[in-house]
Amino acid sequence: MERGRLTPLGWAALILGALLMIAPLLWTILLSLKDNAELVGNSGAALHGPYTAENYLAIFGNGSTMRWLLNSTIVALGTTAGVLVLASLAGYGFARLDFPFRRTLFVIVLLGLAVPSQAIILPQHQLFAWLHLHNSYPGLILPGLIGPFGVFFMTTYMRGIPRELDEAAKLDGASRWTIFWKVILPLTVPAQSTLAVFTFLGSWNDYWWPLISATHSDMYTLTVGLAAAQMNYAQTSGLGFLMAQAVFASIPIFIVYIVFQKQIVSAMAGTAVR
Amino acid sequence: MRGVLLSPSFPRKRESSSESALDSRFRGNDGFSCRLVMLLALLLAGCGQGDDRTRIYLQRFFGECGAEFGASTDVARAEGECGIMTALINRFNAQNPDVRVDVNVVAWPGYPQLTAQMAARDPSDLVTMHSGVISDYAAKGLLEPVGPYLEQAGIGAGSFTEASRLGVTIGGRLYGLPWDTHGGLFHVNTALFARAGLMRGGKPVLPTSPGELIAQARQFQARTGKPYLIQSNVGDPAYAARNQYTYMIALGAPLFPDSKHIRLATPEGLRVATFFRRINAERLGTRNMDTPAAIAAFVNGEGGIYPTGTWMLGSFQKEATTPGRPLYRSYAVFPYPRLWGEHVEFVSGHAWVVPSRERSAKQKEAIGRFFRFMAAHNFDWARTGHIPAFAAVLEDPRFKALPHRADIAPLGELGRPLPSHVRRQSAIEGLVGEEMAASATGQKPVDQALRDAERRVNELLGEVN
Repeated sequence: MERGRLTPLGWAALILGALLMIAPLLWTILLSLKDNAELVGNSGAALHGPYTAENYLAIFGNGSTMRWLLNSTIVALGTTAGVLVLASLAGYGFARLDFPFRRTLFVIVLLGLAVPSQAIILPQHQLFAWLHLHNSYPGLILPGLIGPFGVFFMTTYMRGIPRELDEAAKLDGASRWTIFWKVILPLTVPAQSTLAVFTFLGSWNDYWWPLISATHSDMYTLTVGLAAAQMNYAQTSGLGFLMAQAVFASIPIFIVYIVFQKQIVSAMAGTAVR
Repeated sequence: MRGVLLSPSFPRKRESSSESALDSRFRGNDGFSCRLVMLLALLLAGCGQGDDRTRIYLQRFFGECGAEFGASTDVARAEGECGIMTALINRFNAQNPDVRVDVNVVAWPGYPQLTAQMAARDPSDLVTMHSGVISDYAAKGLLEPVGPYLEQAGIGAGSFTEASRLGVTIGGRLYGLPWDTHGGLFHVNTALFARAGLMRGGKPVLPTSPGELIAQARQFQARTGKPYLIQSNVGDPAYAARNQYTYMIALGAPLFPDSKHIRLATPEGLRVATFFRRINAERLGTRNMDTPAAIAAFVNGEGGIYPTGTWMLGSFQKEATTPGRPLYRSYAVFPYPRLWGEHVEFVSGHAWVVPSRERSAKQKEAIGRFFRFMAAHNFDWARTGHIPAFAAVLEDPRFKALPHRADIAPLGELGRPLPSHVRRQSAIEGLVGEEMAASATGQKPVDQALRDAERRVNELLGEVN
């Protein structure tokens, strides 16, 4: 949309929309800066001072918080890296290679998109118990690598890359691996970025699997750890602390959004896939 | 320093004794990198050697407060559930250098994690559990009867209060060390009660019959212009369920005649539910409030009585001792008053349970020692507002000297948990509370709500194996 064409009414609508979107965030931040006891009687006290950083100090004062942050970082980065590698390889295979049952396998992959994670949680938990992988980084990362969306996404993207590029490289004597590594993969960077962002965000925010797989506090991710740190009546007697936790957990996500804003917007607009 | 690669935090005996299948797969596929990884893991694991203390693993809720109490062993100076619990465990570790209790704090109430651990055959050694949940785990053999541990600790079942003993007893066996009793209390704003002319001898006058409650509520409302009851009827099924259970038990109604059925659509059930419907119909209580709103209303002096749990006593007492606050010097608290029949009250409780798993003799001995320590410190826990599980603590002058404890101490004997054969108590409370709240607020006819609650609970119990 061209800026010059926006009418005053349009501007007003945009500003109103922005305010509506940002209001809950501002409310959360203001609550996080208030004394818990003050909020018990009146959460409206968040609209005026005095403000305090005591809720944030309590988060950092908990010796486990940095450990949970590290765990989340390892798990989110590990999952992202794994998904990128596997989805790229699988995508290339489905997009470029001819092998028996290729279409059938691709349909099976697509069917994976229709299976909610809750439906397989019991056998998945049993499998990881049998492998002694609970309370471990592989235990937290491996389930995230099963990403039919990533495979579908990369397959679709790679199918859009002209086959003439492969053929030209082959004429120059390039091996299948060289074609993948030096010709195709560099062209998929926009798709890789998009997939990486979504995978990282999904992994960072995951609560369900870490909750039941990481049952020892040293292996909690940030989402599970912060939930465990809450008192039983957090929403009443510890509202400020609860909101500070929410803000703290959101900061890495916020950074990812800022850094990869372009990729996220293009992905949302559906322009990442050609 | 502990290993950080595969199982960095809890080097459990059975995990460390065997090589995982995945390790083997990694090693077979990528020799060099996996050998390097394993070497690193061995080196790191080696750093943890030399600790010959007996380790027991404890899992609890009540939150994490390491920032404030992480290093504290001074139980007397700790505050709140989390603070007192943290200081107690620190102190146990300090007093027992040959034992190491590793604590795992779980998100309240922690049962999804506990169930997952049990499915993986790796539960903790000690777990905090609500008494109403014990039956679900005990029925499947997932908890050990704690008789031997209590015997080792020198704790007799007779030392518990009636309410706490009933809460952990299933089929005549004790499945936990009871730790407290918690239930509903009438939290009273005495300043408003004084304005309403409902104070006698410095104590609020509480009703002794349904008719008296209505009369007092009308008087209160007429003189103060504020509602007599503050109610959390929105999103708080425990509130309505607690009221219904308490007064049906008081009327002698057999709520759960057997393990597969509840009986709510009875004359007793109708009397109780109709009474709470009347309170709302006459607008003698607040409407459309959830728990945070009800708490805020009470601390801001917007109503006479807030019937909620023992767990709020500490917060309200803090308001009552803070100059300038609406509750300042205006707070009293009592068990639910007797309105019908017997003076009893529905309660639950916290207990320490021991999940079934293989343990060494030293670990069993350490658990017994932990029980003895916790029993000896039951008074400290009672500072949270919960009623102590040990009858002797109720008589302890230190306990009686705590604010309001002499008034609420009877709950230890008045308390009645649901029968131990009832499973899915938490889910049942949700269903009953939902229907009773709908009845009280007029969203459903009273008799229909009772029938619906009964049908839904019976369907649930019918599915329990």
